[in-house]
Amino acid sequence: MSATTLAGDLRAFGAAALKEWRLLRRYPSLLVGFLFWPIALPLAYVFQARGFAGDSQAALDAFAQRAGTTEVAGFLFLGWAAYMWISMVLWGPGTALRTEQVRGSLEALFMTPVSRLVILFGPVLSQVVWAVWMFSIVAATMTLVFGVELAVASALRALAVIFIAVPALYGLGALFAAVVLRFGEVSALVQGVRGLFTVFCGMSFPIAVLPEWGRAVALALPPTYLIGDLRHVLLSGAGLVELIPDLAILLSLGLLLCGLAVVAFRRTERYARRGGSLAQY
Amino acid sequence: MSTPDAAPAVEAIGLVKEFERGRRTALQRLRRELDRRERFRAVDGVDLRVERGEIFGVLGPNGAGKTTTMKMLATLLEPTAGSARLLGLDVVTQAREVRRRMGTVLSDGRSLYWKLTARENLEYFAALYHVPAAGQRDRIERVLASVKLADRADDYVERFSTGMRQRLVLARALLPDPELLLLDEPTVGLDPQSSRDLRDRVHELKEQGRTVLLTTHYMEEADQLCDRIAIVDHGRVVALDTPAGLKRTVEAAEVVRLEVAADEGPAPVNGALLRRLERAGQVAHSERRDDVLAVTVHSRSARDFVPAAFDAARAEGATIRHVEVVPVSLEDVFISLTGRALRE
Repeated sequence: MSATTLAGDLRAFGAAALKEWRLLRRYPSLLVGFLFWPIALPLAYVFQARGFAGDSQAALDAFAQRAGTTEVAGFLFLGWAAYMWISMVLWGPGTALRTEQVRGSLEALFMTPVSRLVILFGPVLSQVVWAVWMFSIVAATMTLVFGVELAVASALRALAVIFIAVPALYGLGALFAAVVLRFGEVSALVQGVRGLFTVFCGMSFPIAVLPEWGRAVALALPPTYLIGDLRHVLLSGAGLVELIPDLAILLSLGLLLCGLAVVAFRRTERYARRGGSLAQY
Repeated sequence: MSTPDAAPAVEAIGLVKEFERGRRTALQRLRRELDRRERFRAVDGVDLRVERGEIFGVLGPNGAGKTTTMKMLATLLEPTAGSARLLGLDVVTQAREVRRRMGTVLSDGRSLYWKLTARENLEYFAALYHVPAAGQRDRIERVLASVKLADRADDYVERFSTGMRQRLVLARALLPDPELLLLDEPTVGLDPQSSRDLRDRVHELKEQGRTVLLTTHYMEEADQLCDRIAIVDHGRVVALDTPAGLKRTVEAAEVVRLEVAADEGPAPVNGALLRRLERAGQVAHSERRDDVLAVTVHSRSARDFVPAAFDAARAEGATIRHVEVVPVSLEDVFISLTGRALRE
């Protein structure tokens, strides 16, 4: 690929994100609606925890022993914020492709010389705005309502963890996109995977409570590392150096998933070209 | 536009596209069962050569394989067999370079973002076509002006008429400043004024030195626009020539269209009348429409044929209700080649 083509593709990435952002702006109520869920969902779990344990010190000690922190609210808010972001990323590329297919614009995109990666991931870039919006709401709620102290240095380390998790999550999203292009439908699969993540990745509980085989499953799933490491840096004040083994696994899983996604997407595109399914909806 | 070289704008040799009917379940795939799906050929060995700078039309009825051919040329479909080169580039192995140098309009008005303005749509696609950032603004202004939409650039596409949307799709295809344009049924669904408008734009493209390959099932459109026409039916090219050359293949000076009704009651006129008419001219086509028989006759002289037709009708107890004498059209060419009208 020439430098001009690469530069063109990078600019197209930006244009795809801008296009999605412009489309989102035409529906401002979505942004308001999104204010509600990042607070309501974890809050329900915070109240549930209080309902089960009350002010019992024994219960808190047991939680701290398994979770490595006494910040129950922070633990739950971070878990669910990560879950919501993961959901967005899983749905993102597939939904974007499917929307283009239903809208009738997918063929027009495939007739341009731009890299398929732009078509696949470009629209998802706009979701960064949503992610920042959601994590900001969560951080504000944790600080203002529950008194969780979030240092700037910890927040920067959290950003680094999120950045390292991006290939793994977007790789998964791209795999789902390949499924969408092949079968035109992906919700059953995404729901299944989200269920798997909810049970094994410790969104609302420490994975230490899982049986041994469950913990083994958890350690094979990228969100486990993302959620665990976010909690470590934000709630336990851990440094990035002590998380290097985790982050290395996360990055390796990411590279593997991205490679698989590119192969799957190419095969699916070829299938679509043979069967003419780009325009089917 | 880049400098033209020696290769023709489009060269397709033995282009074939097969599709499967029905579906094969995941279980059948897992069991590696024999694929028993019926295969059908949408395009069955098409040969085309379009020279640079010409407007070339592919004319045929719906389902003739026009759009499938266009999609293979546009790199959206992979040919089952045969090969195609655009501007000397192979559509399969050099697909990305092909896309860089051509603009395509498919017959699907949904391919725009209705919640974006015309300019925003073009900004997005300009980036996808790798239009350099420095010249993007001018390029967009230019293509908007060329399709007469400059004054509506900042309106949402959802407020556009169908004709305006189709012009915007043409503007989008012009963004890469292409040497070659593929237009698939560009005027389908447009009102007469919008169609005329779009045809004017296509003429301007030729004046700018671009090559246009278009498909249509409107014979007048093909006749007015194209330098050469390939008539396709059932996935094959059945004739290829200039419009005048194609019309010369019909052995008639004039075409007479008759509407004949029985004198009593709505009963259709019988075959005896057609046999009588056949003695005076060549019956190219006949069909029943409600209580009349519509007959198209290729005639060397309408002046001789029409009185003979009235005599024939009278002899069979029928009345000619309508007579129309018209010059030979591409519709007549299609009828003489296939025995069917284009709209059938």
